Amino acid sequence: MEKLLEVSSLTAGYGDGPAILDGAHLSVEPGKIHCIIGPNGAGKSTLLKAICGMLKIRKGDVKFKGQSLKGLRPDQVLRKGICFVPQERALFPKMTVRENLRMGGFSLADKSGLEKRIDEIEERFPILRERRDQHAGTMSGGQQQTLAMARTLIIKPDIVMLDEPSLGLAPKIVAEMFDIMRLMAGEGITILLVEQNALTGLKNADWGVVLDLGRTLFEGPADEVLSDPRIQELYLGGKKAA
Amino acid sequence: MGEIIQIVILGLALGGVYALMGSGLSLVFGVMRIVNLAHPSLIMGGAYVAYWGFKLYGVDPLIMLPVAVVILAATAVILYKLVFEREARSAKYSEMTVLLTFALAMVVEGALGTAFTNTQRVTSPDYATDAFFIGDVFIPKGQLYAGMVSLAIIGALALFLKYSRFGYAIRATTQNREAAELLGVNVNLVGLVSFAIGIGLAGAAGSLVSFVFSFYPSKHWEWIAILMSLVVLGGMGSILGTVLASLILSVIAAFVGTYFGATWSTLTFFVALFVVLMVRPQGLFGEKPELA
Amino acid sequence: MTSLDTNEVITARKAYYAGLAGEADKGRSVWFPIAVLALLLALPALQFTGNYNYLIHLVLFTASYVVMASGWNILGGFAGYISLGHNVFFAIGGYFAGMIFARYGISTIILAPLAGLVAAVFGYVIGLITLRVRGPSFIISSLALVMIFKILFDNWDFVGGSNGLSLPANDLPVQWAKLPYYYAFVVMAAFTVWASYRIRHSKFGLGLRAISKDEIKSESAGINTRFYKVLAFAISAFFVGMAGAVWGEYLTYIRPNIFLIILVSVNMVLMCILGGKGTVAGPVIGAILLVVFNEFFVATLGASEINIFATGMIMMLCLMFFPLGIVGTLARLKKLPRILNWD
Ligand SMILES: Nc1ncnc2c1ncn2[C@@H]1O[C@H](COP(=O)(O)OP(=O)(O)OP(=O)(O)O)[C@@H](O)[C@H]1O
Ligand SMILES: [Mg+2]
Repeated sequence: MEKLLEVSSLTAGYGDGPAILDGAHLSVEPGKIHCIIGPNGAGKSTLLKAICGMLKIRKGDVKFKGQSLKGLRPDQVLRKGICFVPQERALFPKMTVRENLRMGGFSLADKSGLEKRIDEIEERFPILRERRDQHAGTMSGGQQQTLAMARTLIIKPDIVMLDEPSLGLAPKIVAEMFDIMRLMAGEGITILLVEQNALTGLKNADWGVVLDLGRTLFEGPADEVLSDPRIQELYLGGKKAA
Repeated sequence: MGEIIQIVILGLALGGVYALMGSGLSLVFGVMRIVNLAHPSLIMGGAYVAYWGFKLYGVDPLIMLPVAVVILAATAVILYKLVFEREARSAKYSEMTVLLTFALAMVVEGALGTAFTNTQRVTSPDYATDAFFIGDVFIPKGQLYAGMVSLAIIGALALFLKYSRFGYAIRATTQNREAAELLGVNVNLVGLVSFAIGIGLAGAAGSLVSFVFSFYPSKHWEWIAILMSLVVLGGMGSILGTVLASLILSVIAAFVGTYFGATWSTLTFFVALFVVLMVRPQGLFGEKPELA
Repeated sequence: MTSLDTNEVITARKAYYAGLAGEADKGRSVWFPIAVLALLLALPALQFTGNYNYLIHLVLFTASYVVMASGWNILGGFAGYISLGHNVFFAIGGYFAGMIFARYGISTIILAPLAGLVAAVFGYVIGLITLRVRGPSFIISSLALVMIFKILFDNWDFVGGSNGLSLPANDLPVQWAKLPYYYAFVVMAAFTVWASYRIRHSKFGLGLRAISKDEIKSESAGINTRFYKVLAFAISAFFVGMAGAVWGEYLTYIRPNIFLIILVSVNMVLMCILGGKGTVAGPVIGAILLVVFNEFFVATLGASEINIFATGMIMMLCLMFFPLGIVGTLARLKKLPRILNWD
C-alpha cells in the first residue's frame, strides 16, 4: 500500500543542542490510527514537532505524499494538510470557543466559507455550539480536547497529529476521545497519536510504533505490538498487561 | 466632600496617562515575554520628540504625538532585529531579556543625557497650565487632555486587538505561542509588529508626559517601578488590567500624596508592586501565574 | 517486523546515564591566587619609593568590587536568582557601621563583620519573602526593594535624610591614609573568594547549582530548596554588607545617593556576567575589567552620561554575545587557563 507519510532515519534536536532523535522512522497509511508509545523523554513529542516543521530536520527525511517536508515552516506544513495538536494546552484559553474555531481557519487564504464550516462543525459537536461564547480556558478537560480536535477539521486536513490527547482525562472521557478519532479516521483522516498509556493507545489503534532513546525500536500492526512479549516487559508494565 | 472629589479627579486624570505608559509594556510582555525595563526610557525619548517639536517649531505636543509614535516604532523595529530576535531562542529568555532591557535603558538614558543634558524640561503649551472649574473642583486641562487622549488610544488598541485579523493573531500568540504557530500564525512577525506597537505607544505616552510632568533622562528609573507596579497588578500582558490598575493606584497615590506628602505617594506604587508580587504574582486580574 | 534487542536498549540507556554524569574533575592551581594575594599585601611598600596613592586606590576599589561581585554571585550565580537590589545590603552595611562609627568612634573595619551579619539578617528576612517568586518576578521585586529603601533612607532624619552624614577622616599622613582600608578590602576580597570556593564545592553549593538548573526537580530530589535559597541570599547579603561598612568610612560620608543608586547593583550584576556568572574566578575578573573600563571611560570621556551609555552598551553586548562570561566561555571551549580554573 502507498505510504502517506514516511519518516526515515530522522535526526533532530532543539536549537543547537544534542540530537534528541537519532534514527527514528515511521510510516503512515491513509485512513488509519497510528499510535506512538515509549517512556517519558523518549522523544515522542520531539518526533511530532520535527514532522510539523517546528524543529529542523538534521538528517534523514520526512516525505508526505512523496514530497519532502524538509525545511518547511509549521504554517507551510499545515497548508500541505498536516495538522498538529500539541501536548496539553493547544487552545487559546482567553478566547471564546467560537474564536478558537475561527483561529483554526487562520491559515485559509479564502475566508468566505469559514463561518459556514464552523457551523458544520458545531453541528457535529453540539457541546461546542452550546459553549460557543464561553472562554475555552473555563471548559472541562474533555471539552477542551474535543474543541482542539474539532478545530483541526476546519481546514479538512489529511493527517491529524495528536500529542497525548488523553492526558489528565477520566477513562470514560478518554474512550469518547477515541470515538472521535475513529470517526475522523472513518472519514479518511489519518491519525498519528502519541499515548502515554500504551495499552489503551494500542488497543484503539491500527498501527503501533515503539520509540525509545530517540529511535524507533519497533513498528507494526497494533495487535502484534501488544502481544510481543519483549514489548510487554519493557513498555507495557510486565506480563500481566496482556 | 469637595476635596475628596478633587483628589479622585486628579488621580484619575493621572491614572489615564499612566495607563498609556503601562499598556505598551503590557502588550510587549504579553506577546513577546519581554519584561521591557527600557520602556520608560523610550517614553523619555518620546517626550523629547514632543519637547523639541514644540520648542523649535512651536508644534503642539498633541500633534507631535503621531510623529513620536512613528519615530519610536521605527526604533523598535531596529532594536527587535538587532537584539531581541536573536534572543528568542535562548533558554532563559525571559530572565535574559530583563537584563538586556535593563542595559538598553542605560544606553538610552546615556544617549539622551549626552544629547540633551540632565536639565529638567517640560513642554508648555497654553493648556498645560490652564484649568477648568466645576464648582470649586478644579481640573487641570493638561492632565485632562492627556488622560483622555491616552484612554482613546487604548480604546483604539483594544478594538484593533479584538476585531482585526492581526489582532486575532496577536491575542492568539499572547495566549499560546506554540498553538498559534501551529495554526499558521507567523509568530515572529507578530512579535515584531507588537513590539513596534508597544514601543510606539511609549512614544505616544512620551508626548503626553512631556507636558504633564517635568522630565530629564535619568528620571525613567522612577517610572520603571511605577509602571511595573501597574502592569504586575493588572496581570502581566492584560491591557484592560493595566488600565484598571493605573486608575486605582493613581487615585490611592493621590490620597496618600494629599494626606502624607508627595514622597509617600510614589511609595504607594512601589509597595503595591512588592506586595502584589509576593501575594498574588499573577496580578489582581490575572488568572494564572505568568511570571513566577 | 523490525528487529528489537532488549540488550541493545539496556546498553543504550546505561550509556545515556553515563553521559549525563560526565565531566571529570580537573586539577587546580592553588599557587596562583595565593601569589596574587601576597603581591597585593606587599604592594603598599611602593609608597616608600614615591606616591602610588592612585594605584592603591584602584586596587582597593577593585577589591571592594570583588567582595560585592563574589557576594552577589552566591545568590545570582550559584542559585540563579538575579537580584538588581543588592545595593540595599550595601546600604545597610554602610549605614549600620557608619552610624556606630559616627557616634562611638569604633572603626568600621572592626565593625565590618558585624555589619555583614546585620545585612545577612535583613537578607534572610527579605529572602524569606521575595524568594517565593522566581525569574522575572524576582528581578522586578528586587528592583522594587531598592526603590522602597531609597525613599525610606531619603526621608529618615536620624541618618541624615538625603544629605546623609559625614564621617571623620583618619589622621594618618596622606601617604598612609588609605592603607587601613586597602588592607581591609584586600583581606575581605580574599576571604570572600575563598568562601565562595568552599561554598561552590560543598553539598550546599551543589544544591544551589541544582536549584539554578531546575528548581522543581531539585525539590523533588529532596533538596530543601527554600532553606537553601534563603541561606544563599543571607550569605550573599553578608558579603555585600561587609563591603558597604568600610566603603562609607573610606569615602568619609554615607548618603543614599552613594549606596542606593541603581548603578551600584548593576555593577555587581555586570561584573559577574562579564567574568562568568556562577564561577569562582568570574566575579574577580569581572571586577578587574569593570574598574579598568571605568577608569578608561572617566579618563577619556569624562561625563557620567557617556559612562552610563558605555556601561549599558557593554552589558548588552556581553549578554548577547558572551552570556557565559569570560571564564564560562573559555571553560566551555575547554581553553580556560589552569591558573584561572578555580571552580
Ligand atoms: N524545548 C526543549 N528544549 C530542549 N530540550 C527539550 C525540549 N523539549 C524536550 N526536550 C528534551 O527532549 C527529550 C525528549 O523529550 P520529548 O518531549 O520528546 O519526550 P516525550 O517522549 O514526549 O516524553 P513525555 O512522555 O514526557 O511527553 C527530553 O530529554 C527532553 O529533555
Ligand atoms: Mg511528550
